[in-house]
Amino acid sequence: MNKMDVITSFLHAIVVYNIPLLYGTVGEITVEKSGSLNLGVEGIMAVGAIFGYLCGCYANSLGVGILVAFLTGALCGLLFAVLTVSLQANQNITGLTLTTFGLGLYFFVGNGVKASPKGFPTMSNFENIQSGFSDRPIPLLSKIPVIGEGLFSHNLLVYLGIAIAILMWWYLRHTSVGLRLRAVGENPAAADSVGINVKLMKYLHICAGCGIMGIGGYYMALNMSGSFNSSCWINGYGWIAVALVIFANWSPALAILGTFVFGFFNTLRVSGGSLALAFPNVLGWLAKIPTQMYQALPFIITAIVLVVTSIRNKRGSSGLPAALGLNYYREDR
Amino acid sequence: MGLRVVKRDGLPLWKRAILYLSAVVLALLIGAAILLFLGVNPLDYYYQMFTMGTVNNPIAYKTFMNYIKELLPLALTSVALSLAFKMRFWNIGGEGQFIVGAITATYVALAWGPKLPTAVTLILMCVLAMVTAGLYGLLAGFLKVRFGTNETLLTLMLNYVALYALYFVGETKADWNLFLQEQSARPVFKSFKDIVAFPMIPIGDKFKLTSCVIFTLIIGVAIYIYLKYTKHGYEISVIGDSAGSARYAGMKVNRIVLRTVFLSAALIGLAAAFKVGSAGVLSTAITDDVGWTGIIVAWLAQLSTGMIFLVSALITVLQFGSTVAAATFRQVDSSFANMLQGIILFLVLAADFYTRFRIVRVKKGGKAHE
Amino acid sequence: MAENYAIELQGITKSFGKTVANNNVNLAVREGEILALLGENGSGKTTLMNMLAGIYKPDSGRILVGGKEVQIHSPEDSKRLGIGMVHQHFKLVDVFSAADNIWMGKDKAGLPLRRRRYDEIEEIAARFGFSIDPRKRVYNMSVSEKQTLEIIKVLYYGAKTIILDEPTAVLTVQEIEKLFDVLRRMKAEGHSIIIITHKLNEVMDISDRVAILRKGEYITTVNTPETTEQALTEWMVGRKVDLNIDRPHMETTRPLLEVRDLTIRNDEGAVAIDKVNFYIRGGEILGVAGIAGCGQKELCEAIAGLRPIESGQMVHKGDNIVGLSPKAILAKGISMSFIPEDRLGMGLAPSLSITDNMLLKKYREAKGPFVDRRAGRADAEEVIESLGVVTPSTETPVRRLSGGNVQKVLLGREIKAGPNVIVTAYPVRGLDIHSSYAIYDILNKQKLDGVGILFVGEDLDVMLALCDKIMVLCHGKVMGVVHAHKTSKEELGLMMTGALDLSEKYADKPAGIAKDSLLEPESAEEVRRESSTN
Repeated sequence: MNKMDVITSFLHAIVVYNIPLLYGTVGEITVEKSGSLNLGVEGIMAVGAIFGYLCGCYANSLGVGILVAFLTGALCGLLFAVLTVSLQANQNITGLTLTTFGLGLYFFVGNGVKASPKGFPTMSNFENIQSGFSDRPIPLLSKIPVIGEGLFSHNLLVYLGIAIAILMWWYLRHTSVGLRLRAVGENPAAADSVGINVKLMKYLHICAGCGIMGIGGYYMALNMSGSFNSSCWINGYGWIAVALVIFANWSPALAILGTFVFGFFNTLRVSGGSLALAFPNVLGWLAKIPTQMYQALPFIITAIVLVVTSIRNKRGSSGLPAALGLNYYREDR
Repeated sequence: MGLRVVKRDGLPLWKRAILYLSAVVLALLIGAAILLFLGVNPLDYYYQMFTMGTVNNPIAYKTFMNYIKELLPLALTSVALSLAFKMRFWNIGGEGQFIVGAITATYVALAWGPKLPTAVTLILMCVLAMVTAGLYGLLAGFLKVRFGTNETLLTLMLNYVALYALYFVGETKADWNLFLQEQSARPVFKSFKDIVAFPMIPIGDKFKLTSCVIFTLIIGVAIYIYLKYTKHGYEISVIGDSAGSARYAGMKVNRIVLRTVFLSAALIGLAAAFKVGSAGVLSTAITDDVGWTGIIVAWLAQLSTGMIFLVSALITVLQFGSTVAAATFRQVDSSFANMLQGIILFLVLAADFYTRFRIVRVKKGGKAHE
Repeated sequence: MAENYAIELQGITKSFGKTVANNNVNLAVREGEILALLGENGSGKTTLMNMLAGIYKPDSGRILVGGKEVQIHSPEDSKRLGIGMVHQHFKLVDVFSAADNIWMGKDKAGLPLRRRRYDEIEEIAARFGFSIDPRKRVYNMSVSEKQTLEIIKVLYYGAKTIILDEPTAVLTVQEIEKLFDVLRRMKAEGHSIIIITHKLNEVMDISDRVAILRKGEYITTVNTPETTEQALTEWMVGRKVDLNIDRPHMETTRPLLEVRDLTIRNDEGAVAIDKVNFYIRGGEILGVAGIAGCGQKELCEAIAGLRPIESGQMVHKGDNIVGLSPKAILAKGISMSFIPEDRLGMGLAPSLSITDNMLLKKYREAKGPFVDRRAGRADAEEVIESLGVVTPSTETPVRRLSGGNVQKVLLGREIKAGPNVIVTAYPVRGLDIHSSYAIYDILNKQKLDGVGILFVGEDLDVMLALCDKIMVLCHGKVMGVVHAHKTSKEELGLMMTGALDLSEKYADKPAGIAKDSLLEPESAEEVRRESSTN
């Protein structure tokens, strides 16, 4: 392989394999900005993945898949919201339970379908899905040498993910509703006192955020070509997303950057070998690093970010919502 | 007329018990509906699950032995977590601390086991697993105390760092890696069953009780006394209630937090040592998710030591029983257990609401009625 | 009725669990008047107003706005009805700018957040007669700036009726004057104002009418010009206030606690206590007066060893206590009790039993690894008995007790430990008159036993009657130490606001430095000789 091609395919892989992280992260940011810490990302992505994939295939439509993934994710969010917002349940416990439940549902449905007479749908049999998930180069930009093919020629869901992230960034930062949402996450009592409907804001954004996570799960399913086996499609990406939220300092725009940084290490794990082969003098050492190091790196980096920001502890610079993880009950005194 | 939610002062124990019980029953009913849909008689399924297939089973004693093997690490981990939770230190790093303890204990067994007497090896396994797991927990504790780092998120991250370290030793063939079988070309964890194992106490002619049961029970009682009657336990409850008052009373809060977090993580390490010492081999799934489930158990039991043993016994019946039932009923996937567990928990969480709040009907302009 | 009422409350009842906060309360505010809502702490003023603000819902009763009966289910409803409340604990988002704190509640704000909003908010604030920096973040604001922001906020939302919950508690005299000017102007523009307070002079100064609550019951409403402070007090407390608190005379000892050039920083790193000198003798009560947040908390914490000091000396019976741990300071017999605003924050563990709370400072004394609960229970029984604490049992969580009983438990424990210096801040905070007197008696008894007492208080009348000497703090500086029987409320008031500085009144005796100080070289030498010969 041409050396430049190696770089191109490396860049391409960073994007293709890690966009689900962006979905998970942007979804979780949306949820956390409303003051709710949802540790159920992994389970919600799994639910979105299995239902999105199956329905998408049965309807032979990528759009249906995306819609169903979003809706099932949002339903999980609704469950979380009912329990934590209306019924004041502990958010950590509810989130962890959602992960257990979601993974259980994923395998229950998946194995059930697999054991059924028709068997598990194979993605290659559904041309609309197959072609819907194929790369669409962006005119002009994709012609840039080396990086063009790597960064500007991707499937629709990649563009959608980045669009959602940018839109969410604008929404949180530059709209009045976003301002109200941030107020709810920072100080629900203050938000309540000026007439913001705290419960409604929480419900809406928890559901919307979880729906976005669901699409991320669907993406993972398509990226695995829908091959269903004993390990879950999501494979820990939900937890990396929880980490990435911190790394991105609760900003969807920074989440795009964070996705690339985490994705870079993720991709080195897979394609580090080919880089080492292509550039033995400069990057030969890459082959010596154990793959598990790359897998652990997102978590190590996030831990370091977490510690460093807590050491700096400058007011106003952290995007951490002040009321994160705390339930709001108006009559509390 | 409208509905209104009002806080209540507390509910008598028996009312709470009925609430939680009805939540579980409702969850089982939902599960029954799913089973019916799959064409399985729910009664048969639940019978298999709750008896764990032990009735009229010639090898029921084996089921019990395996059940206890699964129960012990969960119970001990939950007890350990409750120590930290009591202080409002949200240690969700049980998984990571368990892994660190398991790796350490396995290392001791494999590296020193052949040279040392069994008893010495076992003690060393326990002690060193406690120390390393304790230190791993202490890392998060230290950063929390020193810089106010969010311990929930930090311990969450550390879980994965430990997990990938475990994958690393489990998947890397190398001369230094004594965790793996030398003969096998593929990476396979080396068993140390023949080198060292916790003694089994024979009861009757076939059933053998692992000695870890006794140790775990002793630790359970000790922790109960520790929390309830000792000065340390007193300090923990004061800090959990009001850190400001603790400091005011002259308690060295940071030191107590660090001490308790270390103890909490160390006990999880001990649970891990029990686990590998009984299994005789490390595995990448060594934790069996006890670090996660333990959080839920500790919370469900409202951090009371006795309740933790009860709740973990029940949860283990659910998990273990459903694998047994899944073997009998092929139509039902074993993941049904996780789903059912989720449904039960969701409903218990909802029931919990009614123990803390009550719903009041308000008539326009009239008095409030319950 | 010929009069136009902006808001009428009829037969409002509200209870929390078993406690009835408001019982059949009637209240009416006219259009364009300032109504003072007067009552002691715990009389249900805030609860009543929170029902207008949509925070609580009444159990029964009717609310009329502009003559029409309305239902207020939420703050949103309240806002729509033209009611705005400035809460005592401001409801502001710390990390937001002033403008965004207002903007977040604007009804038709449009979707995009434009930079123009800063100008708009600034303009409108100016139209109301305020000048604010719309870009300033709340965490950088002073208390009075935050209050101004809250007022602009409710005005901006178009409130016709404005409720202010104890707005003057955190302000200086000048700031209070400014606030009152604002209120008068708003009244002139036709707003109705309800102001919650328990300061009589303010009531007389600002209000047109006064409504009085006592223990959740509505007492009466009177026209301000037709009443007197004396009459109001009677309605408020239910009997003639006899402020004849005992001040027994006592031979004082040499200084027990001496503080010299003490400088302390607060949590934000600003100087909270600035080169302060004072001393406490055995058998005297030294009052500390000052506007809330003038370094009282930091001073108490520093004496108890809970807060590091920047510079200066603290000497107890000739021994340096700077840098000692809270535990070591306790061991020297210095007791500190601080009643914070929530009344439970410091000194007690609310979920633990009275017994366990008795043990808080002495649990270490038991031998062996176990806590001696029997001793704790005995202490609890004694305190319950001697101070008349109302509780079902010694094992009741402190959280379940009423405010007065909580404070008795706290003070009772401190006294049981047999301290020689008691530092107590706001010990009667939120207590009714009878409980307050019980607390004064306890303190006087301690004084007669030769204990030195530092009494940080709020109510100047009480301090004038109870204390032997009063030290006045203003922004962390000592404005002087005066004898309680030689000074007046006016003088103290002037000192509190910094208008009068008596710290250098006597050239030969600087304020706060004892003539027989143990800190002077020769005295200290003497003490050291004494202690070495002993």
